[in-house]
Amino acid sequence: MKTLPLPSGLLRTLAGQALAFVIALALGAVIILMIDESPVAVFMTLMRGAFGDAEKIAGTLLQTTPILICGIAACIGLRGGMFNVGIEGQLFLGGFAAAWVGFAFSLPPVLHVLVAMLLAVVAGAAWVAIPAFFRVRFGTNEVVSTILANYIATLLTSYFTIFLFKRPGGWSETPPILESAYLPELFSFSRLNIGLLIGIALAIATALFFRWTAKGYAVTMVGSAPKFAEYGGINVRKVGFGVLLVSGAVGGLAGGVETLGVHHRFMEGFAPGFGFDGVIAALLANGSPIGTIFTALFFGALRAGSLLLEVDTTASREIITVIQALIILAVSADLLMRRRGDRTGERRWKF
Amino acid sequence: MEVLGSLFNVALLVATIRTTTPILLVALGGSFTTKAGIFNIGLEGQMLIAAFFAVIGSIYTGSSVGGLVIGVAAALVFALVYAVLVVSFRANEVVVGLALNILAGGMTISLMKAIFGTRGSIVGRGIVGLPKVQVPGARDLLGFNAAQLISGYTPLVYVAFLAVPAMLLIYGRTRLGLYIRVVGEKPEAAEALGISIARVRYTASLLCGLMAGLAGAHMSLGYITMFTENMSAGRGFMAVAILIFSAGDPLKVLAGCLLFGFADALSLRLQTFGFPSYLVLAVPYAVALVALFALSWRARPKTIRETLETMRRALSVSPERESSSTRS
Repeated sequence: MKTLPLPSGLLRTLAGQALAFVIALALGAVIILMIDESPVAVFMTLMRGAFGDAEKIAGTLLQTTPILICGIAACIGLRGGMFNVGIEGQLFLGGFAAAWVGFAFSLPPVLHVLVAMLLAVVAGAAWVAIPAFFRVRFGTNEVVSTILANYIATLLTSYFTIFLFKRPGGWSETPPILESAYLPELFSFSRLNIGLLIGIALAIATALFFRWTAKGYAVTMVGSAPKFAEYGGINVRKVGFGVLLVSGAVGGLAGGVETLGVHHRFMEGFAPGFGFDGVIAALLANGSPIGTIFTALFFGALRAGSLLLEVDTTASREIITVIQALIILAVSADLLMRRRGDRTGERRWKF
Repeated sequence: MEVLGSLFNVALLVATIRTTTPILLVALGGSFTTKAGIFNIGLEGQMLIAAFFAVIGSIYTGSSVGGLVIGVAAALVFALVYAVLVVSFRANEVVVGLALNILAGGMTISLMKAIFGTRGSIVGRGIVGLPKVQVPGARDLLGFNAAQLISGYTPLVYVAFLAVPAMLLIYGRTRLGLYIRVVGEKPEAAEALGISIARVRYTASLLCGLMAGLAGAHMSLGYITMFTENMSAGRGFMAVAILIFSAGDPLKVLAGCLLFGFADALSLRLQTFGFPSYLVLAVPYAVALVALFALSWRARPKTIRETLETMRRALSVSPERESSSTRS
């Protein structure tokens, strides 16, 4: 039997990722040993915290939801050659906008959710609009501008919450949203809501868009070969601007889902780090929306597991951040792919 | 007027110099990598890890110098990892930088919990801060108010400001500086001359780690002797913003850093005047963002800039070619 001509590129990539994973986990184990914990115990606790029983699994999926939606936001940007690291800020503004509609207006049930989501999406897109404009018009590095915008977004929403809309009483949070704006929950025993389904549907829709539509192809070409795209008659600037706006809008949507589905109010330190986790999940999936479903699930499981980790061991839950970072570093090194001289054709965001 | 008078005085200038120092140190460090053609977004993480290990080192060795050395060593390790991945493995510099920032954040919190059993911050516990240097004779010569401006800072403040002329000399007068610039601007030319691009970039990255380490140590051992979770609070990113619009030029870096130092000092000041702290805290970031946008025409792609320059030169040499070489 002759061996079939395997897609050796894909196989090598997968083998490379697997090797990177092993190296990252080994390094993670070393760091866990450094803080005087047993790597096996930490791993078992993480697994138990993430998949121990139905409630724990629902908890994992609950954590997965915002990471997934943020991850898709990042994917859209990456495919269009835009590194939107400001998803965290868009998430915060979207979350606040949705909460505001939720508590300040009284609308019929389904309409209330739709209006709140719409405003969340608009807020997310608006927050990225200025960095996006300067990116396409003057080439201002969007990585730095969106990161700086994150800090402003966090402080701004905190200001809104504490100085303008504070709920009477002790906590630094807005009044709760009306029940008509709640996202329907999936199970009675968890706060898990249809946000997860929205995320999965969005991932599939994005994947189909990139795979089957001319517009999707245009966006991918703008991201990977802008000169070719321009030669093909595509307005690279317009597409780039649109990509960032849509990416920001999806980031805002993630905030809306988090507010309407989980917290039912906006508070300081709402959804910490989901935006960054989304970016990492998208990078790990190499910009593939379907792949992001799995990487987001992995990060969601780590997050859910880390809650139990903090209870059962002396380790801090930030140890999972360390593991995430190590995985990204190991994967970025791309150990099996021997790069050759040509660097110009390399996609900006590719590992 | 009275408010303005008590807002803008010598104390504000002194505060500006203090707040400028860490960002100046880290931005000058980033200048090495920028000049060598690496977009180093990992400054934030290098600073943070240095701040943490400076505190650890200061506690264990019982001296501020020990803290400084260990903090810088930690930043150098991060810089080395960065260089290995970006230069040798050709990994994406933005991805690696962001991952290292995340790693620094997670690692400092995990280690803090493991070593001290607390979250949030490390205060006291025998941290030795850097000493203050009194410039001899300053007070007799200049009087109390003016002497404040040049005397009584920690040594790293002087290091930061003296590093600006030193770096001008390095770039303008030394072989290393020349190599760094060649590698950054024309890697092909460097290769043709037999300069090892990898070695120059490693050197630049490690020099950057050294400066970022000093910046971190200044944050945790300088005017406040404590470590707080994520205490670098975006200063590394502000430094990157400065580097983008200064293109790594030490004098422009200094100007940018003074602007941010001033914004920082002013925001601290405004807080005591009863402005909402959240908005005031956002001022330095907003200044960084506005400056980045306002000056972003400088960051036009190098090829365009070079084309324009070549054209200008061509035009000045032979005006009759004007019609053939002008383009929109």
